Amino acid sequence: MGWQQSLQESDASKVRTIYLNEPLRNSFCKNSISTAKYSIWSFLPRYLYLQFSKAANAFFLFITILQQIPDVSPTGKYTTLLPLVIILMVSGIKEIVEDYKRHMADKLVNTKTVIVLRENTWKTIMWKEVNVGDIVKASNGQFLPADMVLISSSEPQVTCYVATSNLDGETNLKIRQALSETSEMQTEKQLSSLSGKIECEGPNRHFNTFVGTLYLNDKSPVPIGPDQVLLRGTQLKNTQWILGIVVYTGFETKFMQNSIKLPLKRSNVEKVTNVQILVLFLLLLAMSLVSCVGAILWNEWYGEGIWYIRMKEYISYSLGFDLLVFIILYHNLIPISLLVTLEIVKYIQAMFINWDEDMHYRRNDVYAMARTSNLNEELGQVKYLFSDKTGTLTCNIMTFKKCTIAGIIYGNQSEKSDTDIRKLSLSPSVITESCEFNDPRLLYNFENGHPTKDYIKEFLTLLCVCHTVVPERDGNNIIYQASSPDEAALVKGMKNLGFVFTARTPTSVTIEVMGENFTFEILNILEFSSNRKRMSVIVRTPTGNLRLYCKGADTVIYERLSEDSRFMKETLTHLEYFAKEGLRTLCVAYADLSEEEYQQWLTQYRKASTVIQNRMQSLEECYEYIEKKFLLLGATAIEDRLQARVPETITTLLKANIRIWVLTGDKQETAINIAYSCKLISAHMFRIQLNLNSLEATQQAITWHCEALGTQLSKENDLALIIDGETLKYALHSEIKRSFLNLALSCRAVLCCRLSPLQKAEIVDLVKKHVGAITLAIGDGANDVGMIQMAHVGVGISGNEGMLATNNSDYAIAQFSYLEKLLLVHGAWNHFRVTKCILYCFYKNVVLYVIELWFAFVNGFSGQIVFEHWCISLYNVLFTSLPPFSLGIFEQCCSQKSLLAYPQLYKISQAGNTFNTKVFWFQCLNALIHSFILFWMPMKMLEHDMVLQGGYTTDYLFLGNFIYTYVVVTVCLKAGLETQSWNKFSHIAIWGSIIIWLVFFAIYSFVWPTIPIAPEMAGQVKMVLVCPYFWLGFFIVPIVCLTLNLIWKSIRNTCKRTLLEEVREMESSRAQKFHPTIFRKRVEAKKVQMIFATPPHEVVLQSESFDQSIPRGYAFSQVEQAVITQEELIRSYNTTKSKQDKVTMDSSHSRQK
Amino acid sequence: MKRTSEESQSRLPDNSALKQQQLPAYRLQLTATGVLSGFFATGVFCLGVGIILILSAKSIKEIEIKYTKICGNCAKLREDATNFDKECTCSIPFYLSETMQGNVYMYYKLYGFYQNLYRYILSRSNSQLMGTDLKIVNKEKDVGTCAPFSRSHDGTPIAPCGAIANSIFNDTIILSYNLNSSIPIEVPMLRSGITWWTDKYVKFQNPRSKNLSIAFAGTTKPPSWAKPVYELDQEDPENNGFLNDDFIVWMRAAAFPTFKKLYRRLNRIQYFTEGLPAGNYSFNITYNFPVTRFRGEKSVVLSTLTWSGGSNLFLGLAYTVTGAVTWLAFFSMMAIHLMLKDRKNTVQTCI
Repeated sequence: MGWQQSLQESDASKVRTIYLNEPLRNSFCKNSISTAKYSIWSFLPRYLYLQFSKAANAFFLFITILQQIPDVSPTGKYTTLLPLVIILMVSGIKEIVEDYKRHMADKLVNTKTVIVLRENTWKTIMWKEVNVGDIVKASNGQFLPADMVLISSSEPQVTCYVATSNLDGETNLKIRQALSETSEMQTEKQLSSLSGKIECEGPNRHFNTFVGTLYLNDKSPVPIGPDQVLLRGTQLKNTQWILGIVVYTGFETKFMQNSIKLPLKRSNVEKVTNVQILVLFLLLLAMSLVSCVGAILWNEWYGEGIWYIRMKEYISYSLGFDLLVFIILYHNLIPISLLVTLEIVKYIQAMFINWDEDMHYRRNDVYAMARTSNLNEELGQVKYLFSDKTGTLTCNIMTFKKCTIAGIIYGNQSEKSDTDIRKLSLSPSVITESCEFNDPRLLYNFENGHPTKDYIKEFLTLLCVCHTVVPERDGNNIIYQASSPDEAALVKGMKNLGFVFTARTPTSVTIEVMGENFTFEILNILEFSSNRKRMSVIVRTPTGNLRLYCKGADTVIYERLSEDSRFMKETLTHLEYFAKEGLRTLCVAYADLSEEEYQQWLTQYRKASTVIQNRMQSLEECYEYIEKKFLLLGATAIEDRLQARVPETITTLLKANIRIWVLTGDKQETAINIAYSCKLISAHMFRIQLNLNSLEATQQAITWHCEALGTQLSKENDLALIIDGETLKYALHSEIKRSFLNLALSCRAVLCCRLSPLQKAEIVDLVKKHVGAITLAIGDGANDVGMIQMAHVGVGISGNEGMLATNNSDYAIAQFSYLEKLLLVHGAWNHFRVTKCILYCFYKNVVLYVIELWFAFVNGFSGQIVFEHWCISLYNVLFTSLPPFSLGIFEQCCSQKSLLAYPQLYKISQAGNTFNTKVFWFQCLNALIHSFILFWMPMKMLEHDMVLQGGYTTDYLFLGNFIYTYVVVTVCLKAGLETQSWNKFSHIAIWGSIIIWLVFFAIYSFVWPTIPIAPEMAGQVKMVLVCPYFWLGFFIVPIVCLTLNLIWKSIRNTCKRTLLEEVREMESSRAQKFHPTIFRKRVEAKKVQMIFATPPHEVVLQSESFDQSIPRGYAFSQVEQAVITQEELIRSYNTTKSKQDKVTMDSSHSRQK
Repeated sequence: MKRTSEESQSRLPDNSALKQQQLPAYRLQLTATGVLSGFFATGVFCLGVGIILILSAKSIKEIEIKYTKICGNCAKLREDATNFDKECTCSIPFYLSETMQGNVYMYYKLYGFYQNLYRYILSRSNSQLMGTDLKIVNKEKDVGTCAPFSRSHDGTPIAPCGAIANSIFNDTIILSYNLNSSIPIEVPMLRSGITWWTDKYVKFQNPRSKNLSIAFAGTTKPPSWAKPVYELDQEDPENNGFLNDDFIVWMRAAAFPTFKKLYRRLNRIQYFTEGLPAGNYSFNITYNFPVTRFRGEKSVVLSTLTWSGGSNLFLGLAYTVTGAVTWLAFFSMMAIHLMLKDRKNTVQTCI
């Protein structure tokens, strides 16, 4: 929970004072940011510190120091130092490359330009030069360089819109309003004459709080709140320009304060590996102790008799000293190169992810990005997927798609081809140019006097009038500004149907129908709230009638329909149909009002709007009074467009045994809609809805549901659990947490709505802690940062303007659907690769270095090594360094196509059965057997000593070189046996390693005495390579070792065939021009049947508790309780005038106020 | 517009098969036929090689005579180090029933002598043996490596220093052939050509001087040696100093506590052009090297060699056994495979 703990509450108490136009008195942190780990000077000490804080590296450092003690080391003084230095260098180069990239990225941000008032003129400067107290001018579409207080803007009522998706993930634009005291400060002169100060709280990470006071000379102090503050990282929208005073810069901005500490995530595999290294260390100690005891016994037995070495003089060495000797002798058992090998392997794996063209979003030219390479293999083990909704599952583009008018459904043709969908961008703008509604019948009916003509007209007119959208003329084009994406979609849709909303004045709305202008006088706007689930306007129609237009949820509208209302039944059926398609629906109705009725209501309304306490409530009550006796017109269906291939991806992921939970801050209705449209919930699924408001009720409900499930609890049922944030607060109470989790785990789909970012993280944490499975969180907004950091693997959706999620994620992808490839292909591959690589590294080290133990049995436990010093220390960095790389980088368990075609294959890596303690011990045992064979066979071969032509006799190193060569060959071939997919690099690695050793051996034998090292090696190669026994053993020893493995493998494959084997076999038979389709079908059918052999348990439950009613898909999004009400905002616009006029008009307007 | 398209192009990575992980690869698939045929072929190969090896090892003639017990009194004498100056000889007659054809090599073999002890192997100075640093004065370190035989009691450096050199095998073994029952003929033996080429010409060098005894002045002989290093071979002045073949052979530390070292090879002249003819022989041994103190044994070995070396049955047997095991595996796996194949079919028909 690091990110929560680091909330810097204390900082809030520090007050800062910013003096206006007095740059010298403001000295705060610079606006340049640096996310890099090192600077040039700090690199060496910091890097070394980080490296040696790893246990393994510290161990090798310790060994290196020990080796410097004279007479202790049987392996020379620098034989551990050299590989350690090589490894640190390689790893250092990697760090430098990565840090260089960070420096470059920082530089890119720091050198963006912005206009700032300096020396009384506007100057363009770089972001890093912006200081606290500067007055910044930003124009539409610009990102803001620092946190600032809004002074004035181009818009009426000195408002401005900002897109905060970068910070909080919310997609509706936020409205900010400057203080009226500063609203006229617009010219250079005015601004530079500004004097005074701003006092405000110190930097903190809370986006939605700000406390400050503006002291302007000769004016009374004015409080500044969050509504006046524009944050770094937000983008100015729908506003020509704004002016602001910088209050926080650089690391002190709220944006940066939120992205400081990245938790270091370690993968499951890495943790297991660390334990195994520890186990190996214990093994090393055990071996050393055995050798010590052996040495003592040997000395007892021979003691004085060994006249040729004068044992007496040496026996004085203590037991501890002997132990050190043996620890040094066997220390290589711990693979020195494992960590660096893994680091490089994972780095390259990450590069493969970055390069992947299948995860390249061509539209924005965004590639997938692995921001950390630590977790590559974790991608192959994901069991729980937590997904955000907005911007992750959906594109956040609303389109008016269908409607039903007077009982006739329109826009119901077959779906358009996918290419059209793909053409659509992930545009950050709420309003898009596309409209999917395309049904000529509607206009045909309208123009050709269909009986429902009038209804159609009324319906379309209503949608044109009843909203809070502001049109903005841009030449001949009309751009609609809306804080509600639903409304924007509707107005847009109407425009395409020929009902164009053209202008808004404070009191009226003008629409153009078939070239004719109609102006509706807006009398009242009855605002939307999530309680009311509807919004209405009261208008005077061009013909002078009073009319109330209303749109809202089916439930609230149907309650208020008059008895005369028609088409109720048809519309309801259509609503259900829309809902099944996952569309968001709104019912549309109107009521004619009489003058008296209206006047009567108006007095009530005026009274209510002046109430001081509970004004909202009394207003709502008042609205209720007039919103009645509706006549139903029909309903609209808006598509909250899913990202491409989301339903398919979800289906595939479900097949791969990944549980998907949707965690959203959005409304319940919207979330359910999306869950339907992305096929996470199907229509026949039972739904458990938990919307309760007390702990007791929640506890009761959960216990009740758990009991109802009975034995099916904790098994996968065909259920969907839907819970809102309020209820979740109680459900996460420590007493019922456990049973809530059980309930959630027994549902196939879980939907959590209206969650705060913190709750999202809490849920992830709950599953992470109590289930012990690997979790993955995916999201795009700042509200997802918590869960992204909390989950084992965090994935950010990139390509949107929002970067906060991406910056806190481990992997960034542009589309939700890329998750399929990321998990099923990269994840599975990387898991196999990394685990194989680790096991292999352990294997090869055990094989070689345990031979020292075997040799100790014949040399009286004296500590003599059978190999040459440098051969031993170069084993890991030269002779067998390549095969782990080829395994770790190029190994493929089966082709990408098969992995995607059979998502069930994912279960293999998910279960992690290929890498656990059992497998590790098995591998160690295997290595022990191999090492024994590798020592015993050459020993037997050479025992006789007469192996050379000319009768020459041999020495210990002759044996050592035999063994060493066989070890290298065996170990390389073992890598070959592990490699399931041989490409050219595998060949290079395996055959190359053997050749490298032989070449090295040849050269090394001629080094002495030219270079004074390795006198023992001199001449070895000439004798070894001409020895017939060497070549005979060259074949038989590896064959004996590997035949054992091969037999074991073959028997296991024959007896217990896995799905993987079957798929692989199919692949290779396909390569042999087998009839592919028939075979494929057969396997598929068989396997699918096997997988679904146990169908999900049918739940027999009382229907009252488990909601199976057909949903009707109401959903609507709109800003609530903003700085100014919707009505005020709309009434401040007059789009019939040009902008300049407007500014003056508005300023006069505000002055009047 | 054009610029942006160029830009986007340059940002595209080249979509090589490598980057997309689509490199052509051979999928190693352990198919039944592949594995079975592999096993069968390996079996054939191993059995073949194994039989050849066994046959060639069988063709070797080898004779080994342990003489620690036979020369028991000498052994006893040598147990006490103070008797170093007393000579002790011992003659061992034996009968060679078959002719030893071709080159015959004579080895001495030690049992229980640990030449592979860490401190033993360490105890030598390679630079001294190169003749460059005779008095091992240059490097303090090197003296250390020669411990505990680097300097004599009076501080004179020992040449050759170190435990290996000090413990050189110093028995003399002479083989005599009793041609006509009574007159023994000394079998002509070569004492050269028994070392590795590199040892003789690279690793071991005498100090540059015409007279070896002058060259070695200022050094003393190792404590266990009877004669200084420059008097090792009275017959051949070239075979003296560090370049003495017996010395060089000894200096290669054996891998196991039981080992052979090449001692002499047959000079194929006179009666011995074909090898050693069958008949009565005897070893005349000057017994100097003490082995009973560390419960060891000594023996002398006469052997011929074939293309593959001495008479070692192990490799032949290893090949044969491996061949047999792979065949066994082949048959049993074939059986399992056939059995499971039937079963699999039934599973498929069920579905």
